[in-house]
Amino acid sequence: MSKTLKYSTAGLATMAAVAMSVPAHAEEYAILMKTLANPFWGAMGKGVEEGARNAGVEYYLQAVESDQAAESQLNVCNTMLERKPVAMITAAINSTNLLPCLKKAQSQGIKVVDLDGNLDPDILAAEKIDITFSIGSDNVKAGAQGAEYMVSQLGADAQGAVLVIEGLSGNITGQKRANGFAEALKELAPGLEIVASLPGDWDRGKAANITNDILTRNPDLKGIFAANDGMALGAVESVFAAGKGDDVIIIGVDGNSDAVKSIKSGRLTASVAQLPYLVGKQALENVKMAVAGNDVEKQVIVPTLVLTQDVMEAGTEPMLEFVK
Amino acid sequence: MTPIDAKSAPGPWSRMQEKSIEQLHIRLESIVVLLGLITLMTILSPYFFSISNFMNILLATSTIGVLAIAATFVLSSGGLDLSLGSVMGLSGVVGAAFAVNLGMPTPVAVIATVGAGALAGLVNGFVITRGFVPAFIVTLGMLGIARGLALVISDGRVIYGLPEWMLFIGQGRLFGIPMPVIIFIVVALIMHIVLAYTRYGRHTLSIGDNENAARTAGINVEFHRLTLYTLSGGLAGLAGLLFATRINSGDPTAGITYELTAITAAIIGGTNLFGGRGSILGTMIGALIMGVLQNGLNLLAVQSYYQQMAIGGVLVLAVFIDQYQQRQETKV
Repeated sequence: MSKTLKYSTAGLATMAAVAMSVPAHAEEYAILMKTLANPFWGAMGKGVEEGARNAGVEYYLQAVESDQAAESQLNVCNTMLERKPVAMITAAINSTNLLPCLKKAQSQGIKVVDLDGNLDPDILAAEKIDITFSIGSDNVKAGAQGAEYMVSQLGADAQGAVLVIEGLSGNITGQKRANGFAEALKELAPGLEIVASLPGDWDRGKAANITNDILTRNPDLKGIFAANDGMALGAVESVFAAGKGDDVIIIGVDGNSDAVKSIKSGRLTASVAQLPYLVGKQALENVKMAVAGNDVEKQVIVPTLVLTQDVMEAGTEPMLEFVK
Repeated sequence: MTPIDAKSAPGPWSRMQEKSIEQLHIRLESIVVLLGLITLMTILSPYFFSISNFMNILLATSTIGVLAIAATFVLSSGGLDLSLGSVMGLSGVVGAAFAVNLGMPTPVAVIATVGAGALAGLVNGFVITRGFVPAFIVTLGMLGIARGLALVISDGRVIYGLPEWMLFIGQGRLFGIPMPVIIFIVVALIMHIVLAYTRYGRHTLSIGDNENAARTAGINVEFHRLTLYTLSGGLAGLAGLLFATRINSGDPTAGITYELTAITAAIIGGTNLFGGRGSILGTMIGALIMGVLQNGLNLLAVQSYYQQMAIGGVLVLAVFIDQYQQRQETKV
């Protein structure tokens, strides 16, 4: 066992030697994701990799173990700054958990990019953090697109009941989608009445229960808008179990692979697809422009696409290739 | 080295071991592992060996380190506190709600943060000692209750915008050292002295070693347990304060699964899961082993999934070495 000690003393000596000879390093982009286990973030990560390859830049991508590991993400962020990247591209777990790290990055002259619009502009202003740009989908518009599609199927003078299933109570993304839908629907088809707008907490089972309850009260339900695909798929199960599969239009948001399968088999009517792959890819290309000293837009909106059986069968929509 | 040699003529290693255990209450193996890891990471990554990176490691270890101190006290008394992470989240939210929503001055908000944790711990201790419900069940219940309450108080959102004086606790620096690191080290040193050198600490360990013997010896076991869980909750509150002031907001999801990480640090540091043995300095080394491992693997761009595997492996290895040595000793 005393050998261990000798080895560690020898190690300490090498340590000192190595510490004195830190090699210079090529320009590197640091990318910090939430968790790659979620297909949405996984697709965005792939887009980032592709974008980095296209732009010919070196990148260094890290993610954390879950999309609730807020402090862990902050610690990883601080660690990443040790490698002195030229840009720090982050998909923050919430609007505040990375603030100390982003401040530090800014003070070191590292460009800060907000992936998927997780940061709050007011909080950034209060913290005096000036990000290079923010890129992501417009969630209010995604909700409005859902309403547009529903009205295009039912007609502008349609009458009847509509159910909205919101996200986790208090979650800003879910709120934006639900509000966007409600406002557009009121404008486009005033005859369609939202009879209930309830939080489904992003939970498939909960959404199925809500749908069951509302179908009992409003058997003539015309349409359902759910703030994500998981919940829309829960609603699909309840609607089909009640034998009303052909009568109710069901729309989700995300365009994930389960939703795509369900749309293809004629169960889910439509999903407003976000294009995380495109978000990741475009983010990298814009960062490269910014690093080269060019002006880039402060707020880059990546379009969302209404996926339906017709759109997928036609296959002519150019953005389809980004639906992963 | 065989045990017989060790008895007849103690080698330098076992002499050092004995000294380190007697004087500092830590295991020498864990220091060797820590230094070995630091050496390895220095060789593997050119970014590792710098003052600013060491500050990163200490800063990243500060919250979990404070929780690990709590875990060490409770575990070495033969207890268990599974609510540490949730209570940390709740405390941060309570503090932010006091400061932001109610506009209370900083000292009140700080006391409320730590107090909320201590109160949750007091409830744990009360139900355990007076209601005779096993600690596992009570603190598992509190894990859910505290997390739910944090979400209710904050309406599921982060409460942003703490007053400037409060931010100094999480973001300020003294002599270039981040405040959370200073608070963490000071608390660790005080708690080390309490556990290793005071009557309170000796009672804690003897309850964990043999509850009946402790009772016969005249220790008020129930009351002592009550204070231990309150202390544990108060430390979780302090961890909540450190994190909330670091990110300038009360985050209701802060600290999820931290109770397990804290217990892991304590056990790597040599605390006995079933009580009777524990040392805060040992736990600090355990927490630093995990901190260095995570930091180094991050610098090497190793995915976080592998990091979890590495820490799991270190945990089992630490207990294996410990058990192996104990078997060798009892063979004599």
